[in-house]
Amino acid sequence: MALMITLLGTQRYYREVATMSPEQLLREQPTGTVRVLGRVQAGSLSTLGQEETSLHRVTFYLSGEREGLPVRYIGGIADNLRELKTLVVIGRWDLSTREFEAHEISLLPNYGYVAAAYLIGIVPIGLFLFLMERRVELLYNEIKAAKVYESEVAGFDKG
Amino acid sequence: MIKQMRRYESWFGAGAGICIIIGLYMGLVTSPPDYYQGEVVRIMYVHVPFANVSLLGYTVLFAGSLWYLWKGNPIVDNMSHAAAGVSAFFTAGALATGSIWAKPTWNVWWTWDARLVSFTILLLILIGYLMLRTFIEDKDKEARFAAILAIMGFVDLPIVYFSVEWWRTLHQPLSVSPRGLSISGEMLIPLIMMAVGFYLLFLYMAMVRTQMLYLEQLREAKKGRLLSQAYL
Repeated sequence: MALMITLLGTQRYYREVATMSPEQLLREQPTGTVRVLGRVQAGSLSTLGQEETSLHRVTFYLSGEREGLPVRYIGGIADNLRELKTLVVIGRWDLSTREFEAHEISLLPNYGYVAAAYLIGIVPIGLFLFLMERRVELLYNEIKAAKVYESEVAGFDKG
Repeated sequence: MIKQMRRYESWFGAGAGICIIIGLYMGLVTSPPDYYQGEVVRIMYVHVPFANVSLLGYTVLFAGSLWYLWKGNPIVDNMSHAAAGVSAFFTAGALATGSIWAKPTWNVWWTWDARLVSFTILLLILIGYLMLRTFIEDKDKEARFAAILAIMGFVDLPIVYFSVEWWRTLHQPLSVSPRGLSISGEMLIPLIMMAVGFYLLFLYMAMVRTQMLYLEQLREAKKGRLLSQAYL
């Protein structure tokens, strides 16, 4: 069961979470659908118009750490598409036009932060509870086992 | 009362466990990501319950302190002390999870926002209460002074709760308010489930901690009687 969950989780990760940088895409030139993580360069966002099928056409420059690439987005309204915003663009690299054709805009997957918050929140609760319960058991046993009155009273009676 | 706590505490623990497991499944798997925040919004399902429980814990501490000053029942003092410890733990947890949520959302780990500052002050009041209880040797004075501190510190609670309404803050406003709901049902249901689970968890932890404090005092009292017998 654990192995299946791990396999499914790994598949989902590579399908929906794993991203590449613009530098990596320009270096590897992949042919299939990929996810590219970058920041929309300031001043580069330009709306070309709306097609008859109510799809929006937008072009912008997606910058990475050192290099960037031009992106042509054709898809539904993307409210998250703003300058200086870090985004994930999903689409294909067009070798002939040297442009990235995106059909979907997505937010940066922040599973790391979610995992950290849950671990920091829940693990200490378990530890705190375990330590308290253990202390209560020890105290109960200690108090039950204590026979201090009998020995002291007996000792003074003999004296 | 201690025996009843020992008998019924496991029911609260089991209820908390069931609610939290269901809430975690709903929050992490079935509920949708936020349109603007993405997956980071799932931190809400632990952060908000942590914050709710810390406010509940302080309310219990406040009520217990008033009751103790009025009636002088030592078990109530133990319950107040226990509530303070558990509340401090949950307050620190709320600040930690909130900070982790803030980094991808606001791009900072900390900011001098009204809600954050007032919540941190609440944590400092609770830490002060717990420290005060360790510094005073006379048990009766310790209980009375701590109760007075807890009552005075209660003024911070409405400031924490209404800070997002009274000031212009980065922190988002109340999701549930007299104006209505500002959260969708798909997110509200797992949030309620986690909140109920955490409330039950608080009650369970407070019961365990009350027993622990009571037994420690009983053990110390027995040692004290041992000494008084020895010097007859």
